[in-house]
Amino acid sequence: MSNKVKAIYSWIKETIRGRHLLAITSTSLTLLLLVGFLLPLFLADPRDTNPENSYLSPALGNLFGTDKFGRDVFSRCISAIRLDLLVGISISALAMVIGTAIGLISGYRGGLIDRLVMQFTDVLLAFPGFLLSLIVVAVLGNSVFFVMLAVTLSFIPYFIRLTRSGVLVQRQLSYVQAARMSGNSSWRVAFVHILPNVVGPSIIQATLVASWAILSVASLAFLGVGIRPPTAEWGVMVAEGASDIIIGKWWTSIFPGAMVVLAALGFHIIGDELQASQ
Amino acid sequence: MMRYLLRRAVSTILTAIGMVVVVFFIVRILPGDPAILRAGPYASKESVAEISRQYGLSRPITAQFVDFWSRLLRGDLGTSMRTNVSVTPELLKRLPASLELSFYSLLIAVVVGIPLGVWAAVRQGGKMDRLVRLLAVLGSSTATFWLALVLIYLFFFRLQWFPGPLGRVPVGTTPPRNITGFFTIDGIIARDFSFVAESLWYLALPSFTLAFGLVAPIIKIVRAAMLETLRSDYVRTAFAMGLPRRSVLFVDAFRNALVPITTTLGIVFGYMLGGNIIVENIFSWPGMGRHAYLALQNNDLDVLQGFVIIIGLMYITLNFLIDIIYGLIDPRIKIGAKSPT
Amino acid sequence: MTALPNLKVEGLGISLRSNGVELVTEASFEVQAGQIMGIVGESGSGKTILSLALIGLLPAALKAHKGVITLGQHQVRLSDDVAHPDIAHSLAMIFQQPQSALNPTMRVGRQLARVLIARQGATRKDSVKESLELLTRVGIREPERTSRMYPHQLSGGMCQRVLIAMALVCRPAVLIADEPTTALDVTVQAQIFDLIEELVAETKCGVIFISHDIAAVSEICDDIVVMFGGQTIESGRKSEVLSSALHPYTRNLLRSREVMEESTTSEIINLDLPGCRYANRCPEVHDACSHVPDWVSVDETQGVACHLYSKGENVAPR
Repeated sequence: MSNKVKAIYSWIKETIRGRHLLAITSTSLTLLLLVGFLLPLFLADPRDTNPENSYLSPALGNLFGTDKFGRDVFSRCISAIRLDLLVGISISALAMVIGTAIGLISGYRGGLIDRLVMQFTDVLLAFPGFLLSLIVVAVLGNSVFFVMLAVTLSFIPYFIRLTRSGVLVQRQLSYVQAARMSGNSSWRVAFVHILPNVVGPSIIQATLVASWAILSVASLAFLGVGIRPPTAEWGVMVAEGASDIIIGKWWTSIFPGAMVVLAALGFHIIGDELQASQ
Repeated sequence: MMRYLLRRAVSTILTAIGMVVVVFFIVRILPGDPAILRAGPYASKESVAEISRQYGLSRPITAQFVDFWSRLLRGDLGTSMRTNVSVTPELLKRLPASLELSFYSLLIAVVVGIPLGVWAAVRQGGKMDRLVRLLAVLGSSTATFWLALVLIYLFFFRLQWFPGPLGRVPVGTTPPRNITGFFTIDGIIARDFSFVAESLWYLALPSFTLAFGLVAPIIKIVRAAMLETLRSDYVRTAFAMGLPRRSVLFVDAFRNALVPITTTLGIVFGYMLGGNIIVENIFSWPGMGRHAYLALQNNDLDVLQGFVIIIGLMYITLNFLIDIIYGLIDPRIKIGAKSPT
Repeated sequence: MTALPNLKVEGLGISLRSNGVELVTEASFEVQAGQIMGIVGESGSGKTILSLALIGLLPAALKAHKGVITLGQHQVRLSDDVAHPDIAHSLAMIFQQPQSALNPTMRVGRQLARVLIARQGATRKDSVKESLELLTRVGIREPERTSRMYPHQLSGGMCQRVLIAMALVCRPAVLIADEPTTALDVTVQAQIFDLIEELVAETKCGVIFISHDIAAVSEICDDIVVMFGGQTIESGRKSEVLSSALHPYTRNLLRSREVMEESTTSEIINLDLPGCRYANRCPEVHDACSHVPDWVSVDETQGVACHLYSKGENVAPR
């Protein structure tokens, strides 16, 4: 085998060493995402209703069974992967970018701006659970965009606080003085010099936030807010299938719900492992 | 201690005011004609205009703001669009049901979570530790709505161990005299023990559902706090002085770990306050959450607004109470600076 | 009253459980009852983990892989890797930061009473009375008022006195004091020294006084043991070591009289090097130093581990 391949192989082995759980989970999530993009091309259209086939239990033909309208639960779950995962990742990324920037500026400038930002963060964090997102989406309307906006808003404060405390520490260090003395503008000092040193914890937090974001979006969809039927989204599917439980048709809601848990679990484990190996 | 309390009180009031203002603006300022929002997408132009006039929605925002505050300070949170009844009493009437559910969920989570967290810390690195941490990860990632359905399917439909999602007591049962609103307490006061048993039976599944999500952060913080205190100098000294192991773990390690634990309990409880809306919906629990859910379906913004404000204020008050408890527990705050020696 | 026994440590070795790297290779000394023995060494010399091993508080990542400790009738082979409560219970230890060594959420009087109840089986009532007496004995002037206070309300010196009182309750044969005054200012340091000397005279217990500060050690100690790189490299009476030090490291220490701050890391001692660990800093290094030097007793009380004094070498101590 060529040397290049050997070099890549040993680099992979070295990075994975001791971090097996992290490697397995990241790979699984990536595979899941790939499946979400590729598999739907081979599966039945998730919106195909087939009333004669309603409520078939899971079997080889319908891995996850069919729902009340005869739709194949498995293909609906798979087609929802893209939406749920990408929405969760985007929310987390967006919240991280915005929150980190605000936290950076607030921590660096200090003074009145800082106090205002802190009070604002406190207010946002005064909303328990996902009530803030709930009421924002309720008012704005039901669309993917508004849901993303609302949930992002509820996570921004975490990043503001995290970055700000990092900045407060860095601000005292000598390299910051040096950078200032060399004539760099405040913006440069903050974003070019300080930012790389405080962004680490935010990235780790972002994986955890991705996990929570997926749960929030699905929960909101379950309540009928944000993403709504007939869009195939795991939370929506659970809502539609919830009443089936009483009559014993568990597959219409349990499978989509399990997907939510698995996705959230994946990101959570990655976040935990990253935190532990710090 | 007084100075600390004063500072916390001011901060709490500011945050409460801020929260209410934010809710006000969210409901009014965000795009979308508030009158149409309330009237619903199928309303005629006349009904929209009527609603606009009735709720004063076309007046300048400052006038609405002043009006809102003057009513809020009198406890008036508006009128429900759907039922045409005042929001505040409708919500408060359902508060005990929600509180009872939250109380038992927290109780289960604490009773299970604290010992597990302590155990995991004391046996750090061992099998128990790994198992407990796995439980914590699962708890944080599990969707409440999914878990509720799983429990209902397994324990009601399949095993028939617990009742179905039909509320607090079997249909047709008359509750005893309403003193606290807590069925379990009222039942005990009225000596109707079969009623108490029924209530607990119906409480089981919904509170387990909520408790599962709560256990995770509790385990995490208890474990982390215990690990920290176990590594401290004073624990080392206590062992060096030959004090018995159990005493050191409880009096030195755990007692000092309580400080960060109590602060986190507030956050944990708050997280649950939001989850109630889902659980109450699934289990048809007649609490505030379910009322808010119905309001949500009907775009009944005043009820929603009232719900968020009440829950938000409860959460803020709870955190303030925790600040007080924290001040009582930690003598460094209670007594303050060194006295000259 | 029967005289308290001596504590004898022979060939103590401590290593990491994970890879067997030795942090203490060979430590041997004897603490006489009624004498104060000082252990001097820079950070990394192994002096603290040595004392933790004696009292049975080694962190889980470390284990004692060899050595014998003898205290009176009790003897324990450390390689057995089991707890040795018979000996550990006759030892008491006080540490460097007195304020953080006390439970921050309990009044100090109650902490002292707690030790009395646990170690001497005192009743609740008696423990209160006795704790006040003990506080007076360690030189605290207003025992009632002090015992009602929390550690953060007391000065470092007072906290250390409280800790010494707690140690006394354990009726130790040997009191181990690990840098007890390093965090305190000089006047308080002198007071604590006086207190320790008084208590030794009174109870005839032995004291192991650990420090990186040779000046402090020379002030309070009767005997001195020098540690470097996990090994006891020299020992003897104070007068002998101070006036006619044998090991090049000790001489260097005394000559420069530098008070080594714990935080300055002189080159991190390479624990993997074969041979004498001081070799790459030693001005007298020669071929024999590629082997680990054995202990040589120069006379009854003085000894050294250095090839300069091995049998067959003709280098006379300067």
